[in-house]
Amino acid sequence: MIVAAADTANLRLDELQRALARALPSASLTTEGGPPLELSPATDPPVLARADVIEDDALRVHRVAGAPEAPFLAFLDGTQRSDLVAHTNDGAPIVLGVVGAVIREWTGGRGATWSHGRQQRLYAPRAAMLPAEWDAVTSLGLTAIDTSANDAGLAEAHPAAHRDAAIQQIQSDRGQLEQRLAQRWCAERAEALYVDGGLRGSVVLARASQTVGVIKSHRTLFGDRAARRVIFALAAGERTSVFAVASPSMVPVASWYLRLHERAGRDPLWGLVRVEVRHEPDAPRAALRSRADGISARILAERTPTAHPDARWDTMAYGIRDCEVFLRATQ
Amino acid sequence: MTAALVLGRVVATERKPNTPHEFSFWTALDSPVGIGTIVRVEGPDPVNGVIPRVYGVVTEGFSYTDLQTPLHDVLGHDGRPSAESLSATRRTEIRLYTAAVLRHLPEEPLQPVPMGEVYLADVDDVAVALRMDAYLRAGANTGIPVGIYRAGGIEAPIYLDADFLVGPEAAHLNITGVSGLATKTSAIEWLLASTFAHFPLQKGSVAAVCFNVKGPDLCFLDQPGELDEADRALYQAMGVPAAPFANVQYFAPYTAKGFTLNTLRSNEALSQNVWPLTWGLREVMQYAEVLLNKEDVDAKADAFIDFIRERVLDREFTDDGFAKTHRVQSFADLEDWFRDLLRTVEQQNRGEHWRTHHVATIRKVRNRLSNISTRCAGLVTDEGTVSDLPFGAFDDRAVYVVDVAGLEEDAQDLVFARVVTKLREHLERRDLGVNHVMVFVDELNKYAPADGADTYVRKMLLDIAERGRYLGLVLFSAQQFRSQVHRRVVGNAGTSLYGRMDGDELATPGYAVLSPATRTKLATLEKGQLMVRHPHFTQPIFVRFPRPAVMRGRDGAERFPQAQEMTLDAAVARALRRLDPSITVGWVQEVVGPHDDADVLRARDVTLRTRPDDVKAFFAAQFRRIVPAEQPRVRPPRGLRVPRGANPYGDDEPPEEPPF
Repeated sequence: MIVAAADTANLRLDELQRALARALPSASLTTEGGPPLELSPATDPPVLARADVIEDDALRVHRVAGAPEAPFLAFLDGTQRSDLVAHTNDGAPIVLGVVGAVIREWTGGRGATWSHGRQQRLYAPRAAMLPAEWDAVTSLGLTAIDTSANDAGLAEAHPAAHRDAAIQQIQSDRGQLEQRLAQRWCAERAEALYVDGGLRGSVVLARASQTVGVIKSHRTLFGDRAARRVIFALAAGERTSVFAVASPSMVPVASWYLRLHERAGRDPLWGLVRVEVRHEPDAPRAALRSRADGISARILAERTPTAHPDARWDTMAYGIRDCEVFLRATQ
Repeated sequence: MTAALVLGRVVATERKPNTPHEFSFWTALDSPVGIGTIVRVEGPDPVNGVIPRVYGVVTEGFSYTDLQTPLHDVLGHDGRPSAESLSATRRTEIRLYTAAVLRHLPEEPLQPVPMGEVYLADVDDVAVALRMDAYLRAGANTGIPVGIYRAGGIEAPIYLDADFLVGPEAAHLNITGVSGLATKTSAIEWLLASTFAHFPLQKGSVAAVCFNVKGPDLCFLDQPGELDEADRALYQAMGVPAAPFANVQYFAPYTAKGFTLNTLRSNEALSQNVWPLTWGLREVMQYAEVLLNKEDVDAKADAFIDFIRERVLDREFTDDGFAKTHRVQSFADLEDWFRDLLRTVEQQNRGEHWRTHHVATIRKVRNRLSNISTRCAGLVTDEGTVSDLPFGAFDDRAVYVVDVAGLEEDAQDLVFARVVTKLREHLERRDLGVNHVMVFVDELNKYAPADGADTYVRKMLLDIAERGRYLGLVLFSAQQFRSQVHRRVVGNAGTSLYGRMDGDELATPGYAVLSPATRTKLATLEKGQLMVRHPHFTQPIFVRFPRPAVMRGRDGAERFPQAQEMTLDAAVARALRRLDPSITVGWVQEVVGPHDDADVLRARDVTLRTRPDDVKAFFAAQFRRIVPAEQPRVRPPRGLRVPRGANPYGDDEPPEEPPF
């Protein structure tokens, strides 16, 4: 629930803490700094999910051959940063969240910003705060988001639960910002858009013909044991058969695994990405194959230049790294 | 101020902060910035109510990408350099520049350069940045164009301040650069033309004396050279006429035979402004120390030379036992005097001394002095004939070229010492004819070396460098290796120009103040480019100058070939034709008849010096005065016998008198 003020306000953390100290003297400020909350250990458990192969009878290896028809001209990525501003006397966290998203377009080998969005908000569980405390938060000139608005149980929750709720809300805000930029791209441009992450969470992204989602992490792994054996054995430049990914809460997409770099001597997931594109249930298998090969060739072409010095260079395209550098510079 | 595009942005980090004298900025990859480009920074925040403006010149440039190690690029190309990526992305690249501050506006408080926007300096900015606005304003107007600054399509004339080039605030100019690129001589010729065109009226008159020390470099300053459209555009932009010098006078000594002038400008078509440069005993004795080796001539010899200078030259002189009263006015007279003196000493058996001077010393001095007319043959005459620069009647905007290229080193030193001293004397008395003289000396490595003996010429150059500006005597000097020239000579040059430099020379400590990029640029400068240091410029500036509008020495030597060695009659006819074009070789032969060469040459020199209205009559009259008379046969006195090989001076000269 958005309570007050515009998202365009821009306050440094220390400025915000001084303002909060004036508005709410009883607040316990977090002045010793610390890493962003996103760097806390992930709590999502690893998941194995079902994969319905739609290109072949069973998941198998396809060698991607030939040059791409055209390179990706644009890349979409978003970032978020959450910092703890203060705690109330009851331990409810007040979190400053900054999210940004950008589409960078490449022409003549040089990247330029096609569209950029940024917002800065305060996140706090109103249900766990005194009215005066909430009023103080809303008086600081930033949009204040009540992280307990959709969960009455949070009124008596563990402070860490409030923090997780804030992070999830910030993540959601980041997704929405990315979707807004992607929606604009799809409305105005016909060229393919390389999206960092999956498409399933957004109807707009999942149904657009221009978007190609590339997932670098594999907390959710699709396929049974036999399928996983195929996935792990992929060599550089090989992909799996296309399979459909569907779940009740998300938009169905077509997906496949693609090995970007040889994993020799490394983790089986090293250099492995999963690609998501619009699901076309009625498309013949040959068309599916052709599309998957064409998109895979484009993604493989993005291996150069490498995304060094980013540690995730084995799965990250340089265009996405460029977006991240831009977002860091403007955060 | 024009509404210019933002060219870059000032950046600073904690590890590399900006200072009041240096800052960093980045630009787009296609920006026209390079080493030497002048930029303007607009500060974002006012200081004391004024937006600070900083001018700087780019001294260093960097480019890099986000590549952490070259291995990552190898990895990205699978180890194959030819593996071209089909992606649209390229590594992000930066162009980062370091600039040295030229000027802050306002000047106070002097603060570090702010994180402002960077613009390419326009013509007005360049004038302000280099503080030229102070001397280009109406009322001052003492600017002398030295070249054009070019960057990003902007062309701005760069001016030197005449008060700091010719004096009295500072003075002197030194140019250095490798040989063979025609930079040094061309730059001097261009700058002389520019000075003549722009020298402020209120500062009076100016002339130039150039010593041509090698080849035909300065021999055709009055002949038009080849210029292209680009050169003409530069001349027009700087308001200098693209024409050769209108008033040039050449002076050169004769060859050893004395028939023709010892210069590469000896073609008859160009002889109208070429004059002989000859001196007699009086002129040489004033500068005897230039020619006499200090290690050879000791205090006793010095004393005897002083005696000759003060008691013998131009005076009636006789002594007990002398055969006659001498009036020594030439080397020939001096030789007579020595013979009489030594004969007297021997005849009167006075022992080893004459007037406290030892006979050995007398012989030594005689040997050294009479040797001068041999070593400086063509310049120094036995007869004392003097033909000199027009001291006292110098013309405004005239160039006087003294061609000493064909002379021995000693003779070059003598010419240089005497001409400069005369210039100085006349300037001190304010009767030279002009208020300022620019003296151009090439090969300063040779005349004012950092190491080596403290010669008369070096002392004189030091004196000009340190005190000449008060007199209007300005030294324009050139050399290949600035590091090997005496520090006080180059250090006193208010303005320094640098052409393309040798890498070894740039590695010497004198260039440590320049950034590596500036040194690299200096090592690769094109013809026609210079780096300029001037008292008003807080940093060196690169400029481009046009080719001089005069004929290059090499072209002139081809177009006007040197005259062949000729007979005495032909040489005399040619010399006199400058005064009377109707004179022919046949007429000369008829007039000179049986007279010997020395008489003919003497008649020629007198005629040239006098420049009579009726040249033929005057020349012919010289021979009527010569009455050949038979000399009475007098037995010469017996000389002091010195066995051959026992000469204490090691000269092994033949005995002066034949033995009985």
